[in-house]
Amino acid sequence: MSILEVKNLKKSFGLSIVLENISFSLDKGESLAIIGSSGSGKTTLLRCLNFLEIPDAGTINVGSETIFDGNNPATLPDKEIRKRRLHFGLVFQSFNLFPQYTALKNITLACELLAKERSDYKENRKSIIADIEKKARTLMDQVGLSGKLDFYPHQLSGGQQQRVAIARALALNPDILCFDEPTSALDPELTGEVLKVIKSLADKRMTMVIVTHEMQFAREVSDKVLFIDNGIIVEYGTPEEIFVNPREERTKQFLERYSG
Amino acid sequence: MSFAVITQTLLEGFLITILIFIITLVFAIPLGLIVSFGSMSRIVPLRWLTRTFVWIIRGTPLILQVIIVFYGPGLIWGWTAFPRLEAVLIAFVINYAAYFSEIYRSGIESIPRGQYEAAQVLGMTKAQIFFKVILLQVIKRIVPPMANEIITLVKDTSLARVIAVREIIMEAEDFIKSAAIIWPLFYTGVFYLLFCGILTLLFNYLERRLSYFKV
Repeated sequence: MSILEVKNLKKSFGLSIVLENISFSLDKGESLAIIGSSGSGKTTLLRCLNFLEIPDAGTINVGSETIFDGNNPATLPDKEIRKRRLHFGLVFQSFNLFPQYTALKNITLACELLAKERSDYKENRKSIIADIEKKARTLMDQVGLSGKLDFYPHQLSGGQQQRVAIARALALNPDILCFDEPTSALDPELTGEVLKVIKSLADKRMTMVIVTHEMQFAREVSDKVLFIDNGIIVEYGTPEEIFVNPREERTKQFLERYSG
Repeated sequence: MSFAVITQTLLEGFLITILIFIITLVFAIPLGLIVSFGSMSRIVPLRWLTRTFVWIIRGTPLILQVIIVFYGPGLIWGWTAFPRLEAVLIAFVINYAAYFSEIYRSGIESIPRGQYEAAQVLGMTKAQIFFKVILLQVIKRIVPPMANEIITLVKDTSLARVIAVREIIMEAEDFIKSAAIIWPLFYTGVFYLLFCGILTLLFNYLERRLSYFKV
């Protein structure tokens, strides 16, 4: 059963069309790699999924819920947008950790704020907070940073910061975790540790959408690959189909350039 | 004229100085925030109105503003003038709110978009984003320029004498006329230096307290 279904998504900024006719679906537990040159619209697609951009047309379904319908783009109240975007988690290229909080607090902050909206928050405050912290510690362990709980972002390397950012996104239990070029801002020797964490999530069948320039990694980790060029899907298929037997000339050109 | 009497008189003047200083800060710090929101508003007329206001206030001398607030209402509209001290306070609050608003604005605008977006995708409300994520980073960034501006305010209070508010400089100057001595004027420098010294220590402390993270 598909957990994510995107149909005919369209987005333009002013006169320039950034995404057109984007349709794909993703099953629960699958990883989708989105590849393409800079400026092809990959990041905008991720941002549409996370409500950081509002598409002009098309639909986005998560499970049986329509979270965006371009035919009926009623402006949603803030509360509803917040609820809907929590289906997704997003890991940014530039990590975007909150500098004034420790790694642990970066992970727990949003969870604590959300917990305040629970009706039983006042009675069970202590146990709720304790659970959140316990979970954050488990996540930090999972990304291999159990020794860095009390470190501030500036005390961590880029790779470590990105791993905290992954743990932070996971803490809210998103249905689908999105990555926007998660290693592009890292020194080459630090990309490995981040890719390893993402790989481990794929092995645990976390549903993921990964925008990346790491072709080798995309091939290893993904179940499906989407090649976008100039805002349209040029090719969509299994890693085998895209990387080994690309049908389209543009895909071949792109892969040649990227495999150096 | 004994040292004790002169010290006593200068202290009285210095109390007025400190009063202007404190009242200005108490009102201009929050008012500046409102002005900064106006100058960052998405409503274009409001934004231009606010920015024009800030341009006029920052583009004209404070001394002129003090004079206008004191004499203006009476001479233009025939109103009863504000009491002298109140006139000074009104002019100072407006003037400093305009300067502070620009410091706030640059502080708020210097926070990367990614901080807002990261908080948004984590499901935070606008208020939570501002108070839990953005505010402390803004405060850290604006402490040095605010310190600068606040130390300038200490010395700007001396402009109050232009409408005969008896702050410390005016008190000291009177000794030139009444006793033909100039050293009380130099003596006022000690008050200013001590006060600014204390403020500098305070701001250094604040900067150290906020140095546990980097923005």
